[in-house]
Amino acid sequence: MNSSLLAIEFLVVVLGLGILLADLWIPSGARRGLAYAAATGLLLVLTLHGGALAPGDDTAFGGMFLVDALANYFKTLFIVATIAVLLISSGYADRLDGYGEYVALTLFALAGMLLAASANDFILMFVALELVTVTFYVLVSFQRRRQSSLEAGVKYLIFGALAAAFMVYGIALIFGSANTTNFYEIASRQAELGKSPVFVIGLLLTLVGLGFKISAFPFQMWTPDVYQGAPVPTTAFLATGSKAAGFVLLLRLAYSVVPEVMARWSHLLLGFAMATMLYGSFAALAQRSVKRLMGYSSIANAGYLLLGIGATNVTGSTAILYFLSGYVFTTLAAFAVISRVTVQDDNDDISVFAGLGNRSPLLAAAMTLALVSLAGIPPLAGFFGKFYLFKAALLQVPTSPLFLVAVLIACVSVVLSLYYYFNIIRVMYWPAQDAVDRPVTVPMAVGISLAACLAGILVVGIFPSGVIGLAHEAVAGLGTPAPEMHVQAHHAAAH
Amino acid sequence: MLAFPLYLCFASALGLLLWRRTASRLPHWITLATCGLGLLLTVTAVIQRTPGAEVVTLVRLPWIPTWGAEFHLAADGLSASLLVLTGIASVGGVLFSWNVQDRPGEFFSLYLTLIGAVYGVFLSWDLLLFFVFYELAIIPKYLLIARWGSTRRDYAAMKLALYSFLGSAAVLVGIVALYATSGLNTLDLSALARHSFPPSTQAWAFPVLFAGFAILAGLWPLHTWAPTGHVAAPTAASMLLAGVIMKLGAYGCLRIALPLLPEGARESRFVFGVLAVAGIVWGALVALRQRDFKFVIGYSSVSHMGFVILGLAMATPLALSGAVLQMISHGIIAGLLFAVVGRMVYDRTHTRDLEELGAHRLGKTLPFAAVTFVLAGFASMGVPGFSGFIAELQILLGTWPVSGRLVAVAGFGILLGAAYVLRAVHLGFFRGDDSPPLEALAPPAPITVPEVLGSGLLLVSTVGLGLFPGFVLDWIQPALAGPFFDGLRRVMVP
Repeated sequence: MNSSLLAIEFLVVVLGLGILLADLWIPSGARRGLAYAAATGLLLVLTLHGGALAPGDDTAFGGMFLVDALANYFKTLFIVATIAVLLISSGYADRLDGYGEYVALTLFALAGMLLAASANDFILMFVALELVTVTFYVLVSFQRRRQSSLEAGVKYLIFGALAAAFMVYGIALIFGSANTTNFYEIASRQAELGKSPVFVIGLLLTLVGLGFKISAFPFQMWTPDVYQGAPVPTTAFLATGSKAAGFVLLLRLAYSVVPEVMARWSHLLLGFAMATMLYGSFAALAQRSVKRLMGYSSIANAGYLLLGIGATNVTGSTAILYFLSGYVFTTLAAFAVISRVTVQDDNDDISVFAGLGNRSPLLAAAMTLALVSLAGIPPLAGFFGKFYLFKAALLQVPTSPLFLVAVLIACVSVVLSLYYYFNIIRVMYWPAQDAVDRPVTVPMAVGISLAACLAGILVVGIFPSGVIGLAHEAVAGLGTPAPEMHVQAHHAAAH
Repeated sequence: MLAFPLYLCFASALGLLLWRRTASRLPHWITLATCGLGLLLTVTAVIQRTPGAEVVTLVRLPWIPTWGAEFHLAADGLSASLLVLTGIASVGGVLFSWNVQDRPGEFFSLYLTLIGAVYGVFLSWDLLLFFVFYELAIIPKYLLIARWGSTRRDYAAMKLALYSFLGSAAVLVGIVALYATSGLNTLDLSALARHSFPPSTQAWAFPVLFAGFAILAGLWPLHTWAPTGHVAAPTAASMLLAGVIMKLGAYGCLRIALPLLPEGARESRFVFGVLAVAGIVWGALVALRQRDFKFVIGYSSVSHMGFVILGLAMATPLALSGAVLQMISHGIIAGLLFAVVGRMVYDRTHTRDLEELGAHRLGKTLPFAAVTFVLAGFASMGVPGFSGFIAELQILLGTWPVSGRLVAVAGFGILLGAAYVLRAVHLGFFRGDDSPPLEALAPPAPITVPEVLGSGLLLVSTVGLGLFPGFVLDWIQPALAGPFFDGLRRVMVP
């Protein structure tokens, strides 16, 4: 038993429980200290993750749990995102009743994401995703006195349950045809399994479940409503952690478990990618609610990322990892600003950004940087991510001209996105007549997380080499055949 | 030394942005010093070592090794001549924005970012770096117009940003396609120029790349961002937009699309030639009917840039040399015209309506503006002795072996050019009737020293270039005859 492989997950859960307990002892005025404590704890976990506890590639629990470079890459990403989300949420502490629970739930969601990154079995994948989703039901509806928050929670619950149903049905079909749920075993028999219609349908249904998580068209319906209704820190977490968790599983399935089946489906995936990009960008054009707009933007970005899945080459998987790193920093920076601007009267209409250039030049500049990066303008992270994804897709043009069409559609979507991103920039710098001339306060914790995210945007953008190198290492092991001993060990355990 | 202006601009821009509490004139002086020093350094560098065919590497550092991208700045005669243009236009721009009082720190910070990006484009020898600078120019452009602009600035700024972005999206597809299909894993321009791409790739990649770039150069029928953008922009931004930004697109065609994809260029030369000529005539005809003085100049830019695109599409050595010369010449003349209309006339009379301007009798009350405009107008019409003449002549001569019909139609465009300039001179400055009497008119604010200096700089440049074109042609023609354009010359033998 290699339980030590789970040290990170274990520590995060313990940290969460500790927060729950501490919540009982701490006076209600000092609750935001819990977020700082959790963030510090996570920072420690992150250091351990990179240093003393850095595990080698191995599996545990009869091959269910896998630690490899890909898992480690995503775990780092999840922990970094959670730290930023916690710091952003600390500025929201007095708006969220029972803030201690909010912090603990965020940590539990993180534990789910960490498990998802390491899932090497359809069962663990399902359990990990449900852990994430169920905690998010609560995180989304945490502002119990606000109707829109509750409404968003119910919507997320209904769609999440639907997605879970799809996925569990799919997993049942997969198990029925393959007689196993282990990724390695399925990978070694994919040529034979790929011919079984039951297996293929099961896989498709599983993909539908993941499609909900990453908000791919046509499973994106919940996204705008939930993004708008949820408290800002939750929205930020949904847009980064939850989405990345969907993508790590999608990557594993597409590149490691059933690459041959996925390669046959590249047209299907491209179709989804194109529809997702276009839907996200067109729907965002008319939005006035900034959180809703970020929801549509998140849909469009899922579309760009799907290009990388559809490309099914090493460039594609590396590009996804690189894009996601930049995207996490960019999105968190944007939400950090949104959280400060909208906090006072819980209104996220674009008009509350009016004149931000005068009210808080630093926040306005940070938002501009984040939006410009999202729009994909160099030399920021968003641009290089798109560049990389486009390269991955264009490398496949010789196999099918549809890849060229997909890239051109992605360009259309990028141009459209410029319109709605620049619209916010325009509003911020406009000498507005009706602007509330209220200064915006930035607590230090939010400031720190914002500064870190901005540094991330710039560093990932201007010096992409480092992250690309890491991403390259992370995907290097994907698609290589499963090590024999683990499969045998699992057989032994099963019999 | 050629690379210093680039760093200088970005450093000053950052300084102006961070150091917010600036006295009212200090940002102006800092910007003038930066641009002036930039021009001085560029000119010194080209005097020390006459640029030509040789590609002189200025900086070459590894940037993203896995992609083969480098921070590679290099220049040959083409880049050098456009760098000098950028220097002149940037100094002119500051001198004509000496009266900016609304947040000058931010204004000039954006202005310098824009100039820095332009320097960067002209110096980049790496495709990715090129694209980074190319796109970097969009944001300051947008903010300058949206924040400091006039007529329908909101609409114009967004329109300009979207068209630019559409163009650069196409450029990005083209660049990534070149990069991905070459199989060399390099973004180095020289290496890619030596590689011969399969004709099937060239056939689709060239139109995408050329059209993407040409949108920024005002390719008809995607030119409509240009007049609205020019009109809405503050004077300095109009001068830069028409003066150097539109040249970025043309430079991209010349530096990337043509030499890397010569066979694609030959296949689609006639299509783009027709579009270019359509732009020449269309722009001129529309300019002839405008009431807004700035729109006249805006559409004249479309018409003149049509000549540049025509020269590029034909891609014969003479046509290319003419296109580059026209880029420089139009950069100076358009800057001057916008300076007269936007700064000298509009800031004093607060109208640009040609019907109303007659009542101001500017020929009498602002003789300096009138004389400058008449001289710039002559240059724009292509009167011999000014730079426009040599440039357009070369383009037409270079086009002749390919298609006489295109030359005939483009020549008609030159006639129309004379017509709209004369109409603007007449309506704007010399209406001829004596009403209202001079005594009844409030005298406009006198012409300031920076305006005189700016006009002087630009006028001397255009006349100098017209009388001694050899000075610049000696940089351009060897560069076009150099090894970088070998592939293009082989394919384009008439």
